[in-house]
Amino acid sequence: MNDGIQRRKLTLYVAGQTPKSVTAIRNLERIVEEHLAGQYEIEVVDLREHPQLAREHNIVAIPTLVRSLPVPVQKIIGDLSDREKVLVHLQVEG
Amino acid sequence: MGSAQPTAVELEGDLRRRLADAEETLRAIREGDVDALVVRGEQQDEIFALGGQDSYRAFMEAMDIGAAALDSEGKLIYANSALCSLLGRSPTELQSEGIYPALGETAARRVGELVGEAANNRRSRQVALPCARGSCHVEVAVAPLSMGFGHGHALTFTDVTERIEAAALHESDRIGRAIMASSNEAVIVVNRDGRITHANAGVRQFYEGGLIGHAFDHAFALDFPISSGLMSASDLIEVALAGTALRSIEAQFPNGQQAQDVLVGAGPLRQADDVIYGCIVTMTDVTERKAIEKRQTLLMSELTHRVRNTLTLVMSIANRTITGAKDLAEFRSSFSNRLQALAATHNLLAVGVWDALTLEELLTAELAPYVSIGSERIQLEGGNARVSADTAVALGLIFHELVTNAVKYGALSNENGTVSIRALREDYAVKIVWQELGGPVVVHPEKMGFGQTLIARGLGQGTKVEFLPEGVVCTMSVPNEKIEL
Repeated sequence: MNDGIQRRKLTLYVAGQTPKSVTAIRNLERIVEEHLAGQYEIEVVDLREHPQLAREHNIVAIPTLVRSLPVPVQKIIGDLSDREKVLVHLQVEG
Repeated sequence: MGSAQPTAVELEGDLRRRLADAEETLRAIREGDVDALVVRGEQQDEIFALGGQDSYRAFMEAMDIGAAALDSEGKLIYANSALCSLLGRSPTELQSEGIYPALGETAARRVGELVGEAANNRRSRQVALPCARGSCHVEVAVAPLSMGFGHGHALTFTDVTERIEAAALHESDRIGRAIMASSNEAVIVVNRDGRITHANAGVRQFYEGGLIGHAFDHAFALDFPISSGLMSASDLIEVALAGTALRSIEAQFPNGQQAQDVLVGAGPLRQADDVIYGCIVTMTDVTERKAIEKRQTLLMSELTHRVRNTLTLVMSIANRTITGAKDLAEFRSSFSNRLQALAATHNLLAVGVWDALTLEELLTAELAPYVSIGSERIQLEGGNARVSADTAVALGLIFHELVTNAVKYGALSNENGTVSIRALREDYAVKIVWQELGGPVVVHPEKMGFGQTLIARGLGQGTKVEFLPEGVVCTMSVPNEKIEL
């Protein structure tokens, strides 16, 4: 295993501009900027526009952040305002 | 082998993960961490919003006031469709470029200041924005907004362009009406069909009664001089409706029996989009001014004529006085007196602006140094006879000679003599008779002096001087066209 070439990917599932979706996007931007700069490929999926994409990660609640890589897959449900919880789930020291 | 079935351990691990997911989802819903759910449908999945947030958002989208939310750094979080439409940007364009570039430099600065001022309280200001239809006036209100991730600002954009334009229109309409009302000129607004839609009080000097709805060329059948290039009032309206402004065109308005001289102007009335929707016509009554101008011209030529005549007369008086004078002292006295007589008549004429004088006015001027008209020694009949200016000059000189002669030798040389002056109407003339009585016995002069020559010739044929012993009688005949009795 080589951490240098390990792929890391975060996918945030939102529903248009619901307040928690908007908040989750903001919070994710800040967390990534402050703690994970350059470490993750980030994708925001609007399920209002693409509802079929919910099945890939079995999304039920919105907003949900999915760390699809590295495995195992991790999910965090909510607007990501609990920064410590997010960093723990992403296995990053706060 | 790669195609091997999952082991019991793997299956259990998967089940545990799913269970943990389900428990986490339930917890998140219960604790309010989510505001939308994915609902599995037979055909496709659907998104279902929880709580009232979505209906609030639907309301925001439905309202026609532009609304936006900015985070504490001024980044756009949300903009409703009314704002996107007002700024002529799609939601995606606004999200990517931010709200400030779409506001234009000036408005962006003013809204930025407003956001800075609205840290704790609501603030609002009117700004002009470049918008989808050009430029518009917007009331921007900014209020502090608390959001899940921090503080920001809620902005609303209310389009007040119509209100401002209506107010400006109302104001300009009010000013326009005030100008129309205060103008002494007649101001008439005519629509594209040539019919009158507005008229101020000034039109009453030309037209009594209602004008609104009448065709302009029927109400004002103006006559234009050929040099104006206009044939009729309808030509005037056509030229103005075609976009040309006409100023100070002379015309005549046949108003009843007497035509009025008018100065006419006309110009197009344009809408904001430059389309001509009518014209405005102004009319000024210059009848009196024209009459004064004509009179001035007449007086100028009359004055030139009279100055020439007067100089000829003065030369003639000088020549004749020299011939009859014994010495220089007598010449000086006679010449001076005769010039004064001439001047007295001219003074009277000047006061009357070279108009006709009455017989009484003439006699008063000549008799003034010796006796007044009202005294018992002077009897005047027909003193109100009005003589033309030319005749006045001649009569003035004749009366001067008669008065001088009477004072020296005749009825006014003693204390008892009287003079009667009568103006008598005849068929084609008025006869003026100067008759002296009660003076010293008259002796016929040996030679004709200038005075007699002037008397005899001053008024042409029909003048006769008789040296009767009881007094001088002078009979003058003035044709009717030069005297009015």
